[in-house]
Amino acid sequence: MVSKEIEKLLLKVQKPGRYVGGELNEVIKNKKDVDVRFAFCFPDTYEVGMSHLGMKILYSLFNSVDYIWCERVFAPWLDMEELMVKNNIPLYALESGDPVSDFDFIGFTLQYELSFTNMLNMLKLSGIPLKSCDRTGLKNIVVAGGPNTCNPEPIADFVDIFFIGEGEEVDLEVIELFRECRAQGCDKSEFLRRAAQIEGVYVPSLYEVSYNDDGTIKSFTPKENAPAVIHKRIMKNMDESYYPDKFVVPMIEIVHDRVVQEMFRGCVRGCRFCQAGFIYRPVREKSVDAIDSQCHLLCENTGYDEVSLSSLSSSDYTQIVPLLEKVNKWAKEEKVSMSLPSLRVDGFSDDIMNRIKTVRKSGLTFAPEAGSQRMRDVINKNVHKDELIQTCSTAFSGGWTTIKLYFMIGLPTETLDDVAEIAHLGQAVVDEYYRTPNRAKGKSVKVTLSTSSFVPKPFTPFQWEPQDTIPVLHEKQLHLKDSITTKKINYNYHDADTSFVEAVFARGDRKLCKAMELACERGMHFDGWNDCFSLEKWLEVFRDSGIDPAFYANRRRSFDEILPWDHIDCGVTKSFLIKECKKAYQNTTTPHCRLHCSGCGAAKYGEGVCFEKRKNLV
Amino acid sequence: MKNVRIWFKKDLECRYISHLDLNRTMLRALHKSRIPVWHTEGFNPHPFATFPLPLSLGFRGVNECMDVKLEDENYSFEEITSKLNACLPKGLRVFNVTEPVMKAGKIAYASFTMRISEDKTPSSEICGSLERLMSKDKIEVEKKSKRGLKTVDIRQGIKSFEVKQMLDCAVLEVVLSAGSSDNVNPNLLVTALEAETGLEYTLDITRNDLYNSDMELFR
Repeated sequence: MVSKEIEKLLLKVQKPGRYVGGELNEVIKNKKDVDVRFAFCFPDTYEVGMSHLGMKILYSLFNSVDYIWCERVFAPWLDMEELMVKNNIPLYALESGDPVSDFDFIGFTLQYELSFTNMLNMLKLSGIPLKSCDRTGLKNIVVAGGPNTCNPEPIADFVDIFFIGEGEEVDLEVIELFRECRAQGCDKSEFLRRAAQIEGVYVPSLYEVSYNDDGTIKSFTPKENAPAVIHKRIMKNMDESYYPDKFVVPMIEIVHDRVVQEMFRGCVRGCRFCQAGFIYRPVREKSVDAIDSQCHLLCENTGYDEVSLSSLSSSDYTQIVPLLEKVNKWAKEEKVSMSLPSLRVDGFSDDIMNRIKTVRKSGLTFAPEAGSQRMRDVINKNVHKDELIQTCSTAFSGGWTTIKLYFMIGLPTETLDDVAEIAHLGQAVVDEYYRTPNRAKGKSVKVTLSTSSFVPKPFTPFQWEPQDTIPVLHEKQLHLKDSITTKKINYNYHDADTSFVEAVFARGDRKLCKAMELACERGMHFDGWNDCFSLEKWLEVFRDSGIDPAFYANRRRSFDEILPWDHIDCGVTKSFLIKECKKAYQNTTTPHCRLHCSGCGAAKYGEGVCFEKRKNLV
Repeated sequence: MKNVRIWFKKDLECRYISHLDLNRTMLRALHKSRIPVWHTEGFNPHPFATFPLPLSLGFRGVNECMDVKLEDENYSFEEITSKLNACLPKGLRVFNVTEPVMKAGKIAYASFTMRISEDKTPSSEICGSLERLMSKDKIEVEKKSKRGLKTVDIRQGIKSFEVKQMLDCAVLEVVLSAGSSDNVNPNLLVTALEAETGLEYTLDITRNDLYNSDMELFR
């Protein structure tokens, strides 16, 4: 519901459907009937935010509580932002149309580092002070969750409360505490002090950081009884964990315009570059029955005719074939199609192929991540060239002619020869096509090689690694391009400049808050979008705030340095990560959780894959 | 198989979605409602629906229609209305279902109510500008086409009009050529008006009814 003032702007902007709400299944409550109003802010456009599963889960969960009304807020695109600022219209929530500054909680989900500027910009557009210390009352409590909170330090000055880990329980506990505190007339600082005692809650203002002369951290000290280490929260039983029976159904097309059904959390693989593979441990599966009934209900309640079975690695779901069988029983009749994103190279069997093809033939994408076997061993990808070729052969006999392969460049220990191997691997796939006897007749093959630049992330075995500098990354991109000799291979690469800034913030500390604030002041936003990102502007911001970005992106840390995120416990131990890092240097792989437990530390949660019976032990 | 014409209003938030988005929203609602409509065949079967005359983004529509094929010829029209409404966002409301009398190609005119305002201009002045514009022999505007900008005269496409002065806006009731051959988008009239006065107006446009070439109501 939007005001007349906003309606006047809507016909002057692109896709006004982003700014009006009114979709099927949106939750409207009477604000007089609720105690707590929560503005769930996604720091990107409507189309991106509405595709995000976490937001769908928490939106429904919060609204299932009678005394909470949770509404959605997205970052307005450039044209709308300009008009809103010009006409003095503050950022508003879609359901009520009320300004964000009316809300008790302003919650952000932080999915990628380059959206940090959008978070600050959204606070600015709401007319709310950016810094936690400048917001004094017990209202407009700024909270944040999502994977980026495993290193929340670069935005520690702006956020009152970080939720560490999975939010389903801890968020509600904090909201309940807020309600209690307000009833008792507590002030904000008392509320924060009490909140810090809840497991999974990190209140950055309750910690003091001191630095050595070289800029590294000297000490990190809790105040006012706050815990020295903040342990992440997880949902232990996925079948009993809350899952929505409805999604808000957007009227305009969004990025992932379909039912998204979670199969499991975490990943057994332990690829050494992948943050998600470590911070969501241990792997916890849902049962076939739960998945089947949840996505069936979602189809009925939304009208979607496509289900995406989501996880970090779909073919690692232990019951994947029985699941596809069960879902297909009703899906075929109800004209619903299934898609399986995140298929591993070694998980694409005839069985799976035939079951997803019955309804829709989508493109095939695999991520070998590195070209040479040595490199794939370094990153612990555990995929062999023969497996990739075998998989492509299966796909070619099944009628596919287009294959996309994702890689990273700039991985630790990588040489130019390793990079050239990416091109050779692409060539081997092309050759395999012409060797496959029952390929699609009369059609040419198209192989797309796509590279992104490696960004070392916290809580991975590579958290101590320097990132390749931009010139080195450019050299590697060119070398790869020159190594391709056929037109059947298409090469595209992700810009190295954005990866550099991403690397700065991924492993940043609190000194970066100053840069963030300056960036916001200078109107920087949508840094994840090529339309807006400017490396020059960022370099100016770093210079003017006395920050050396190379200190964060391109510096090798020693194992005994205090890292900015050392006070966060994501479940895996530092000693495990060190062990993995050393194994990487020796080109040695680590078997996945189901083959062998490597003792990462996640077994302490007492659930999930750590307690499954392993086949080789039966 | 029976052809049916589903009549609906497009208003509120749904005013701001494009024809493509409306199409998607309707198909999804048809799918969710389980009304036995004919589906396309092939790899991605989906309900088959056609819209006799698409409505531009931003317009309200009070008498819009969509044609589908019913597989169950005895399926009640009341049930279509209630089931579909339960599956649609509140800005789209089905109010009638009929058997089509005319083919979509018969549409020749459409009537609009255009509320035109500008923050600093009294509505009497806007009415004056409108009267002057509408009384011209030629109304030339630049129109975007696939081949780039071209200048067209839209005067011939105005069947009839009436200017009314309201307290906060000028109202233009107008019947314009519509359909696949000589369609005139009412936004072009505003473009012409803005070119004359140099002002930028706030618009609220409603499409009321569709007609055939004899000005009989499209049914």
